[in-house]
Amino acid sequence: MSYKMSFPAEDFIPTRYSLLSRLKNWDDQDSWKDFFDTYWRLIYAIALKSGLTDTEAQEVVQETIISVAKNIQKFRHDPSLGSFKGWLRNLTRWRILDQIRKRTDLQLGAGNLAGKTDPPPDLASIPSTSEEESVWENEWRVNLMAVALENIRKQVKEEYYQMFDLYVLKQWPVAKVAHTLGTNAARVYLAKFRVSALIKKEIHRLENQGNHLS
Amino acid sequence: MTASDNPAGQPEFVPKVADHQLLRRIGAGSGGQVWLARTTLGTYRAVKIIYRRSFALHKPFEDELHGLVKFEPLSRQHDGLVDVLQVGGDPTGDFFYCVMELADDVATGPHINPDRYQPRTLACDLSTRRRRPVGECIRVGVPIASALGFLHRQGLIHRDVKPANIIFINGFPKLVDAGLVTEMFKPSSHVGTEGYIPPEGQGTVRSDIYALGKVLYEISTGKDRFDYPELPADLRPTIEDQDLIRFNKIILRACRTNPRLRFRDAEELTSALLAFEFGKHAPSREQKIKTLDHWLRIAGITVALSVISYMVWHIVWLLRHSG
Repeated sequence: MSYKMSFPAEDFIPTRYSLLSRLKNWDDQDSWKDFFDTYWRLIYAIALKSGLTDTEAQEVVQETIISVAKNIQKFRHDPSLGSFKGWLRNLTRWRILDQIRKRTDLQLGAGNLAGKTDPPPDLASIPSTSEEESVWENEWRVNLMAVALENIRKQVKEEYYQMFDLYVLKQWPVAKVAHTLGTNAARVYLAKFRVSALIKKEIHRLENQGNHLS
Repeated sequence: MTASDNPAGQPEFVPKVADHQLLRRIGAGSGGQVWLARTTLGTYRAVKIIYRRSFALHKPFEDELHGLVKFEPLSRQHDGLVDVLQVGGDPTGDFFYCVMELADDVATGPHINPDRYQPRTLACDLSTRRRRPVGECIRVGVPIASALGFLHRQGLIHRDVKPANIIFINGFPKLVDAGLVTEMFKPSSHVGTEGYIPPEGQGTVRSDIYALGKVLYEISTGKDRFDYPELPADLRPTIEDQDLIRFNKIILRACRTNPRLRFRDAEELTSALLAFEFGKHAPSREQKIKTLDHWLRIAGITVALSVISYMVWHIVWLLRHSG
């Protein structure tokens, strides 16, 4: 199942509107909208894999992006914070831990009111740093590819995208693609070449997106 | 207002609408509620209530009422638009209402059971995510495109064409939710629905065409509008799927990123859909070639047999007259 099918964009439209209204004092709303569209699935997927609920994961998405907005200038001027990818990973992790702490506090509070003395939830369920890095790396790659595909789909001629989709993504034989779409193999190969080149360029742009936020 | 029980068992205030008994709330539209109602003669209607409290300012509330008043007489002039039968307001100014034709029930069609009624919309039909035959897509597309053309000729834009705003009345598709219909070139605070809004934004003839193109994409492929322009993965070399590939060309043109490359107006889209439907029943070029080939073969065999017959007759004649 693709990233897109797992996390339908439509379900996150209210979250994006809510976030953008909170960011309304920041310049360049379009860049923040692009940033949200690029990274929300990644942050959400990591939050879910950490054991959070859907509501908590959406909260993590919002709070992480707010954190990026508040600290982006500091990130630009402080090389010790490392790459944008690593910095975003840390911000995401801290927001996830915030949600877990909030949940723990609520449960402890409820336990005290009920007169129970249950132990706090097992925080060992949070992946260790190396495991977390591996999960993050994988989700990062998958996410960038999914976003690049989504962006390129809106830019290329629709017929080319259809050929690319059937030949490369759905792995149809070239002859079947050509016959089904009433074209020839040369055009299918050309579509693959053009769209693949655009996707590579788009992935490169997305990887550097963090450097262009204001 | 009177009290009535809602399905949750909690008393709910029911707005008063002249000559209509509001039975049950059946939905929420843009800025308001939709109720199942019954007239004093026992006919079922849909009544949309727009509350003043849904608007932060008074002007958008007034604009919506103004749009509806303008739309009401026009709605009854085209079969592809849901008839708005009455527009009125609460004396206190808390809300206004519009009485409309009622959609078919999703299960029982035109037979309405008020306790179980659920309106049939194209969105309901799409909920199974099953592809519809192209013929069925055209039977939806033509009246809706034609209705859009009618609106556009009156200087109005719909702004929210989507499956949830296409209902069925006696099995016939009609466009609804005049709540977003505004005059061309007039700015509006209404935003439409993501995925049906073209890249250049709304408020033009071609933006309504783009939205309808996305609707046709969804019903013909069974996919979500955000998947556009992907084709179904299970396409096969059947006549139905070949029709889909050809129909795909109409959808691509309706949904071009560059609005100048789209159909220039709804009439052109309507004509394309009709031409496709009639072209489907005319013999295709391949069928014509096959038919010609068939008759040429018959003609060839006939000529060959004739030549052979003549040669046999000639040989027999020569043999008879040689002695």
